[in-house]
Amino acid sequence: MIWLLASALLFSLGAYGVLTRRTAILVFLSIELMLNAAALALVSLARLTGSLDAQVVVLFIIAMAAAEVAVGLGLIVAIFRRRETTNIDELRQLRW
Amino acid sequence: MQETVLLPLIVALPLLGFVLLGLWGRRIGEPAAGWLASFLVLGSFLLGFWLLLQGGAKWTLAEWLPGIPFSLRLDNLSGVMLMVVSGVGFLIHLWAIGYMHGDAGYSRFFSYFNLFIAAMLVLVLGDSLPVVFIGWEGVGLASYLLIGFWYTERVNADSARKAFIVNRIGDLGFLLAMGLLWSMFGTLSISELVEKVEAGGYSFTTLSLAGFFLLIGAIGKSAQVPLMVWLPDAMAGPTPVSALIHAATMVTAGVYLLVRHAFILHGDAFLAGSIVALGLLTAFYGALCSLGQWDIKRIVAYTTLSQLGFMFVAVGVGAYWVAIFHIVTHAFFKALMFMTSGSVIHALGGEQDVRQMGGMRKHLPITHRHGLVAALASGGLPPLAGFWSKDAILAYTFEYGPWLWALMLLASALAALYSIRWYVLVFLGEYRGKAHPHESPPVMLWPNHILMGGALGVGFIGLPYVIDYKNFLEPFLSKAIGEFPHEKLPVWTEWTLIIVSALVAIGVLLWGFRFFQQPLPQWYARFQQAALNGFYVDMLYNTLLVNPLKALAELLFSADRGLLGGFAGLGSLMGGLGGLLARLEAGALRLYLLGFLLALVLLLLWGVLR
Amino acid sequence: MSVGFWEMVVLFLLVLSGLAVVRLQNAVHAALALIANFLLVAGVYVALEARFVAMIQIIVYAGAIVVLFLFVIMLLSAANANVGLDLLPRLPWAAALGALGLAGVLVYGLIRYQPAANPPALGGGLPQALGPLLYDPEKWLFALLAVGFLLLVATVAAVVLVEPERILAATTHPAHPSQKEEKVEVGP
Repeated sequence: MIWLLASALLFSLGAYGVLTRRTAILVFLSIELMLNAAALALVSLARLTGSLDAQVVVLFIIAMAAAEVAVGLGLIVAIFRRRETTNIDELRQLRW
Repeated sequence: MQETVLLPLIVALPLLGFVLLGLWGRRIGEPAAGWLASFLVLGSFLLGFWLLLQGGAKWTLAEWLPGIPFSLRLDNLSGVMLMVVSGVGFLIHLWAIGYMHGDAGYSRFFSYFNLFIAAMLVLVLGDSLPVVFIGWEGVGLASYLLIGFWYTERVNADSARKAFIVNRIGDLGFLLAMGLLWSMFGTLSISELVEKVEAGGYSFTTLSLAGFFLLIGAIGKSAQVPLMVWLPDAMAGPTPVSALIHAATMVTAGVYLLVRHAFILHGDAFLAGSIVALGLLTAFYGALCSLGQWDIKRIVAYTTLSQLGFMFVAVGVGAYWVAIFHIVTHAFFKALMFMTSGSVIHALGGEQDVRQMGGMRKHLPITHRHGLVAALASGGLPPLAGFWSKDAILAYTFEYGPWLWALMLLASALAALYSIRWYVLVFLGEYRGKAHPHESPPVMLWPNHILMGGALGVGFIGLPYVIDYKNFLEPFLSKAIGEFPHEKLPVWTEWTLIIVSALVAIGVLLWGFRFFQQPLPQWYARFQQAALNGFYVDMLYNTLLVNPLKALAELLFSADRGLLGGFAGLGSLMGGLGGLLARLEAGALRLYLLGFLLALVLLLLWGVLR
Repeated sequence: MSVGFWEMVVLFLLVLSGLAVVRLQNAVHAALALIANFLLVAGVYVALEARFVAMIQIIVYAGAIVVLFLFVIMLLSAANANVGLDLLPRLPWAAALGALGLAGVLVYGLIRYQPAANPPALGGGLPQALGPLLYDPEKWLFALLAVGFLLLVATVAAVVLVEPERILAATTHPAHPSQKEEKVEVGP
């Protein structure tokens, strides 16, 4: 139970980070924290329900996170090459 | 009567022409488009003739609509109409090749023309009332398109709309008749209706009402009083259109419809009386108006009205085969009259005012011969086509009542008068205009030669019994219409009637021949002024119907505008709100993310508290 | 709910390292704090009978992924978190409120959660237990293959994203670009 609490706190912290960080890399770092919190919740629930399936899912999460980081960091590097910045307040194309 | 797929082919040929010319008309070009259209119609004619010789044909597509088959039927009645429509239609197509020469819409014209022929054939051949109605509306559409053919001029487009709208009133009658017959008998197939009406077991009053609605439909299409106002304006179309649609074929569709439903009309004194009264009114109205017109095409248009009145009287007195007989002879001499007028217009470079004509006898000798035959046939000179059919009508009206015969005799005297007036004004005297008349090309002369032959000789298929005891047409048509026995007039009465009507025709023709070459007296000028305006019927309709309706429409429209304005205001309010919201979306990604977070919290809260 | 002393300590350290990840101004330090956080989580996994997952956590997450982050931070010279424009200077307050709200909702949900009384043991979460599940066609085999394919696609995508011009050039002129171009001009 206490690790579920830890997971909730880490998830909220990650959300806070996503909102406050202005560098794309650090936003991404906060997202990793949130992902990890979710994984932690799954592992604790595996223990609480006595099922190994949740642990298998965590393995998939880790593999998927690896793929995501590869593509995400690739995107950030590509954007940096074009725009000379990774500050998301300066990247304002997503608008009406 | 055989079941054959060749029957729909008759309709499909001109329809094919419509599609081909409509899609690739410009590429086919002039004159190939005209020849293609003409020969497709000729194909229909020959195919129809061959099938008619085989003893008729029918073709059915079961369950076309729930409970209603798509059925076509070629019997003797529709066969005669088919011959007229496709035969005269072919000749007018040929003539139009010359008349429409050089027009920018040449192929479009022929595509519409073929559409008309296809629709008219559907109307004639249809055995199921909805099928007839398709043709009925199809010819209305083709008529609309062709009246407004030169649509760049507002007058033409307005005339087209007028024709279309006035025809709607008639169409409503047709629809009501269909609904009533369906509710009475549960079928709309004409051949089944015949049996069911014979079998009895229904309310005669309701059937009479159905007949009345059919009559309204016929009035609209055949331009009878009081729905005659569209026909003179329909002359805005090219002359071949006036000849084919507004003289020879489409306007006779109403008469044909009534004859087809003779089994409903027959023996109903009220309906017969209404038909006779309307026909008589129309005959007089058309004749009198025609005497005052200056536009050559309007002269002929009003003569058509008068002749249609004759046909209605024939239907009203129960002389159904005679009505068809008159349709046939009328198709020949009226088409000839129109095309002669068209040749003159063509020769004078588009001039339509008879005051700018005259003297065409010298300038256009061949066309003059056509015109003379047309006028005499229309005026009822024996033994030309018009005389025999008109005489048959007169004989039947005498059976109905001698007073009617006297009135009809007067109407036919007027018919002789307007025919000769047309001839005198166009062909005699000195040429009053400034153009250089030239005779038409052979492609326009040859159809007229053939029509002239018809106007001279086609009357002999329906001679009165005192001359030819068993003529060809009466038993031929009666097979399809039904036998309606009537007492034949005594021989000496019949002969007296023939001689009287012949004498009247000859006398009036001679008198008019002299009268219209002299300067006209004062009283005639006054009469002419009234007749020129169609006795102010249009004005009367405008005052009584059109303008009040327009005022009502204006009122409703302004109410609509207020209402719509309100809605438009609501719309712009929403638009403004949207604009305010859109300002949130300024590209600040972290603000969007805050929105995400807020939504996530709310969703989770809902999930947790639930 | 009895909580042991060491559990409290680990919880405290977890939150502390998480705070460091989201608050430290030097990006390199933040990434290092994330490694610390991941290692702590890996320890927790061992305690929760998930030893294989713990190993993978250390090797892949802490070892590979965060090192990749560090690599990119250094490549882009983006160590300073406070550069550039700040469109929404007051957003942190709203963010803090939102995060607190989120935490509150989650904790409230947690309080109402009643776990099963005596769950079966997991056997330590060893590969011998996980393997049959992963490769069972009726359980996770398909997902495993899908994730493998995802990794392949991501690898290719990452390469294409970073070097689009050179890759496109290489695919259109595979062998010797300069020689090929001269030959192409001969054609129609």
